[in-house]
Amino acid sequence: MIAAAWICLLTPLGAALAITLAGGRLSRRGAGFVASASVLVSFVAAVVTFALLLGDKPEERAHASTLWSWLTAGQLDFGLRILVDPLSTFMMLVVSGVGFLIVVYSIGYMDGDDEERRYFAYMALFVFSMLMLVQGGNLLMLLVGWGLVGLSSYLLIGFWHERPDAIAAAKKAFVMNAVGDATMALALFLLIQKTGSLNYEIVFFQANSLSSWTANLVALGLLGGAVAKSAQLPLQTWLPDAMEGPTPVSALIHAATMVTAGVYLIVRTNPLFEAAPKVLELSAGLGAATLLIAGLIALVQTDIKRVIAYSTMSQIGYMFLAAGLGAYANAMFHLMTHAFFKALLFMAAGIVIHALTGEQDMRKMGGLRRLMPRTYWAFLIGALALTGMPPFSGFFSKDPILAAALASGWYGEILWVAGMIGAFLTGVYTFRMVFMVFWGEPSAFVREHFHKLKQDLVGVSLEVPVGVLAVLAAFGGWIQFANLWTPITDWLEPVARPLVEATGTQEAVSSVLAVLLGLAGIGVAWAIYAVHRAERPRVPWAQTLLEHKFYFDELYDFVFYRPAVFLAVALGNYVERPLVFGSVRELAEGVRELGSGTRRIQTGLVRTYALAIAASLAVVTIVFVAVR
Amino acid sequence: MMGPDVVWYLAVAAFLFCTGALGVLIRRSPLIVLLSLEIMLNGANLALITFARYYGRGDGQVFALAVMAIAASEVVVGLGLIVAMARRHLDLDVDELRTLRG
Repeated sequence: MIAAAWICLLTPLGAALAITLAGGRLSRRGAGFVASASVLVSFVAAVVTFALLLGDKPEERAHASTLWSWLTAGQLDFGLRILVDPLSTFMMLVVSGVGFLIVVYSIGYMDGDDEERRYFAYMALFVFSMLMLVQGGNLLMLLVGWGLVGLSSYLLIGFWHERPDAIAAAKKAFVMNAVGDATMALALFLLIQKTGSLNYEIVFFQANSLSSWTANLVALGLLGGAVAKSAQLPLQTWLPDAMEGPTPVSALIHAATMVTAGVYLIVRTNPLFEAAPKVLELSAGLGAATLLIAGLIALVQTDIKRVIAYSTMSQIGYMFLAAGLGAYANAMFHLMTHAFFKALLFMAAGIVIHALTGEQDMRKMGGLRRLMPRTYWAFLIGALALTGMPPFSGFFSKDPILAAALASGWYGEILWVAGMIGAFLTGVYTFRMVFMVFWGEPSAFVREHFHKLKQDLVGVSLEVPVGVLAVLAAFGGWIQFANLWTPITDWLEPVARPLVEATGTQEAVSSVLAVLLGLAGIGVAWAIYAVHRAERPRVPWAQTLLEHKFYFDELYDFVFYRPAVFLAVALGNYVERPLVFGSVRELAEGVRELGSGTRRIQTGLVRTYALAIAASLAVVTIVFVAVR
Repeated sequence: MMGPDVVWYLAVAAFLFCTGALGVLIRRSPLIVLLSLEIMLNGANLALITFARYYGRGDGQVFALAVMAIAASEVVVGLGLIVAMARRHLDLDVDELRTLRG
């Protein structure tokens, strides 16, 4: 089992190195096949691990393995350690499974790009980093994976490095994530100081004996890392910009896996968060706020990928809400179904973008339903799952989250209302997208630029993963039905025991209301965008507010960027130029003056030298005689 | 052994040395400068021989002989330079030889 887990972790790293080292000796498509094969091996290894773990008794399903001692400092000793337990196996399956489909999809999507090999090396590196994050056996390994996924995300967002927008987006994502990494590192320092270790068992065992100050600070630091990685308030602004990267990257990193790492972190370190209940409540509140704000902004976006990006933020908001209320299994279940249907939406959108020669503006699209029926159905399944319509997967995973909120007292009820509004908004913006892109008559732009997907390698590698994901998005939710059939909750029980248990009535009420609100949202979108019967409500100030994404970018620009630039310019003008440059110049002047003064002594006349010798000799003699 | 006191010899030697040094410092003609140098060397020689006699040992005399040999060779080189200068129709003036000025 341990061997399988190590194989799962290291194969993608091997592929990344192999592709990098082979360079031109490997054909472009070959690189794609190597990367896909390595992730497939990972997936198989993850399945093997899972199967073997299933054979253990539930209480004994945690196996750690240390390759060697990696960092040693005084009493501290950090091993290169992985932990195989129900939670990490669950994530391994999601990451490598969805990752494999998306890497296969990339073979078609990136076909003909100039730097395919680099792309696939980065993709394999990302899968390795993400597996490292979820398999890490202590918080330090988790932090290493955390940093590495940030790096691969940076590299892949900026993959098309000739586009200034992509570079700017990559830098923004990296800087925003660095803020979270820093708070997380501080939390780990505090833990090392207080508990003397970063191993999960030791830290969790001592979690309850920490002072409330320490517990709160540690939980806050970890939460900072989580919100940065998962694009939640207040560090959410990088995710929409990250859509500058290739579409499969958006599907893999910015929808299915990396952005959900924050949820994984909260669930993984739940004893630390439970020692700081206020911080846990804060994360639920942040999730609720993000899901509302992202849902609102998604209403006015015109770029198809950005709409999906905002819906991702919104859905991760649900997961934070669930994790913050202690409904860990519900959060992880939603994480899994979200990985299916969001990757599906991104990849279907990728096919649309591919067919329209790179156009992403929804206003230019329309009428694609008849031109690409298979993609339409796949996209529709993803949209229905996202909206939470039965019997698609989103229904099974989102409604228990809302039910858990309803079961959590007055605070939970507020969050429940937010979640319900979110469900309505989800219906509106998702189906606005569906109707704008696929319904109606083909627009002029579509008639001019549409070209059909050929049934060659490219077409197959694009369509097969989308088909598989469509099946998963449609039926993937059936593995858990709240209160009746709960294998995922039982599976995760040893690692993360849920804090709330919703009653059957609460489940039923939440489900019915959420579905009705989702249908209402779809209805509104249908009336406005499909039949154009209803006038779009015009509220100019709200429109402006939403189009500027609630002015978060402007706020950060004003609060952080401008003062920093101002300070730098002021220091340059008033400190560097007069003091640093000035002192160097003065020093040089002084030396030169001294030199030209000394020069006059050297006359070239032998007589002066002789006089100098004679005079000094005389002085020496006189002194000698006088002293004696 | 009779004769003036050793101080008188040394006084003459010092006088000769100072005369020579003054000549080296203030005269411009290279010939006179060389000549003054010879006077300085002879002042030194006189002091050497005086002390040799005073202590009754031969070392000083040996040194005086060596100084004479050096003086002779130095004059040869110096006169050679002066002849070379004259051949090039340069002014025979040591103040004109100042190309080493900084």
